[in-house]
Amino acid sequence: MGINPTRIALAQFDARVGDVQGNLRRMEEYVERASGEGAQLVIFPELSLTGYMCRDLYYELAERVPGPTTHRMVDLAKRHNIYVIYGLVERSGASASVLYNTAVLVGPEGYVGKYRKMHLPTHSVFEEKRYFRPGYDAPVYETEAGRIGMMICYDIFFPEVARLLRLRGANLLVCISASPGVRRLFFEAFTLARALENNAYLAYVNLVGIEDGLQFWGGSRLISPTGRVIVQAKYDEEDFVVGEVDYSKADRAGIFIPTLRDVRPELYDMLGEEAFYL
Amino acid sequence: MGLSGGLDSSTAAALCSLALGGDRVLGLIMPERETYRPVDVEHARMVAEKFGIPVEEVDLTRILEAYWASLPVYEPRDRVSNGNLKARVRMTILYYYANRLNRLVCGTSDKSEAMVGYFTKWGDGAADIEPIMDLYKTQVRQLARHIGVPKEIVEKPPAPNLWPGQLAEEELGIRYEVLDLILYGLEHFMTPREVVREVNVPVELVEMVLRRWRASEHKRRMPPCVKLEYRTVGMDFRLPHLTETKGG
Repeated sequence: MGINPTRIALAQFDARVGDVQGNLRRMEEYVERASGEGAQLVIFPELSLTGYMCRDLYYELAERVPGPTTHRMVDLAKRHNIYVIYGLVERSGASASVLYNTAVLVGPEGYVGKYRKMHLPTHSVFEEKRYFRPGYDAPVYETEAGRIGMMICYDIFFPEVARLLRLRGANLLVCISASPGVRRLFFEAFTLARALENNAYLAYVNLVGIEDGLQFWGGSRLISPTGRVIVQAKYDEEDFVVGEVDYSKADRAGIFIPTLRDVRPELYDMLGEEAFYL
Repeated sequence: MGLSGGLDSSTAAALCSLALGGDRVLGLIMPERETYRPVDVEHARMVAEKFGIPVEEVDLTRILEAYWASLPVYEPRDRVSNGNLKARVRMTILYYYANRLNRLVCGTSDKSEAMVGYFTKWGDGAADIEPIMDLYKTQVRQLARHIGVPKEIVEKPPAPNLWPGQLAEEELGIRYEVLDLILYGLEHFMTPREVVREVNVPVELVEMVLRRWRASEHKRRMPPCVKLEYRTVGMDFRLPHLTETKGG
């Protein structure tokens, strides 16, 4: 449900490729800082634990979820009474060769849940289908910081994911990302669109830094259901911002623009059919 | 191609000869005073003769002296810089011949060197083709024996010879028999612990090899660039290596 107002911290940081221990240490500092600033939730970027451009190193950086770093983050979450969302490479229980690009949610009660990236970009500089298996579900988790639905980066290009999360009751859509500079226009449009069309708060947290020639543009932001940018982090630099959300406001906004009420289920059947036969 | 009288260049030369005919290969022997060993030149000539490859000798000594005299920062005691300079001078000579005679430069890197970065960036690492770059040193030895590279060459200790007395296994701190097994394990996605178990070597050795391998990626790639546009050279232009251009 969520305390109103809820304070959400966006930890826009520069992950070092392959340096799990180093990234963890810096994430711990940010969790402490978020807690110190009264945040109920702190969000890190996509693959914040490992860095994005790991390529063949994904195999050795992968871990089970829950697993070693989850336990460490749970400790932190309990100690600081805060929810944490972060990104890592998940190893399937079935085989070390099956990996997922995963977002993990932990909180004061322990491990809460995870989301496995469904749309894996494999174009331009991206090779995610080479390494990751796609996820098949978009769960919503009920927490003291909100009803949280997660998605990762390229997922936001597909309105279906956010819609599904919203239909399942999410009032906070979280999109964590490792987006390089050439995509900024797309994300700034999509983050607004997904918040508006679903009448939900949307938290977007992007990496910064340069990995293998790719510069991540930052620009993390917290958006209200009416499209107001509540708080925005810097472009291109590490930054840490905290914004406030009031979930009851989302209900009122929904009365003004009732997209949820007006959703047409039969369109989804038609979409489903068309999508098979492209 | 450069012929040093060593295992790699001798094996690569033999392969070129078998593939193309020795008369379509030119071997360049490029000694210089500081590291000159008559036996190496003998070996180079031995291989060339056996495989029907014409050779030319280009002495680098005066060229290097000109460099030393012209470089304000020249430091005679800096082995690495001066060693690399020799490798890069050889590269310029190979490419001069390639331009003048309209030929390709054949590289002689093997997989062991290529993986741990044990070569000079844009020196012996620069070539148009690399026939043995997917064979570990110990595999090159086997191939060399098989195709008839003279025994003395197959059995002599690998020596880049960029400074007097330089021996590969001494400098790397590991024998190729061991290095190659470690690299093979890493190639096959084995973890360091698994390699330690399988090869029965100290973990520090495996970690040393792993570090050198990872740290030398810059030598195997085009220089990094920042992506600013749609498709970027060296990053996401994905053209095939065309031998003819069609269309247009």
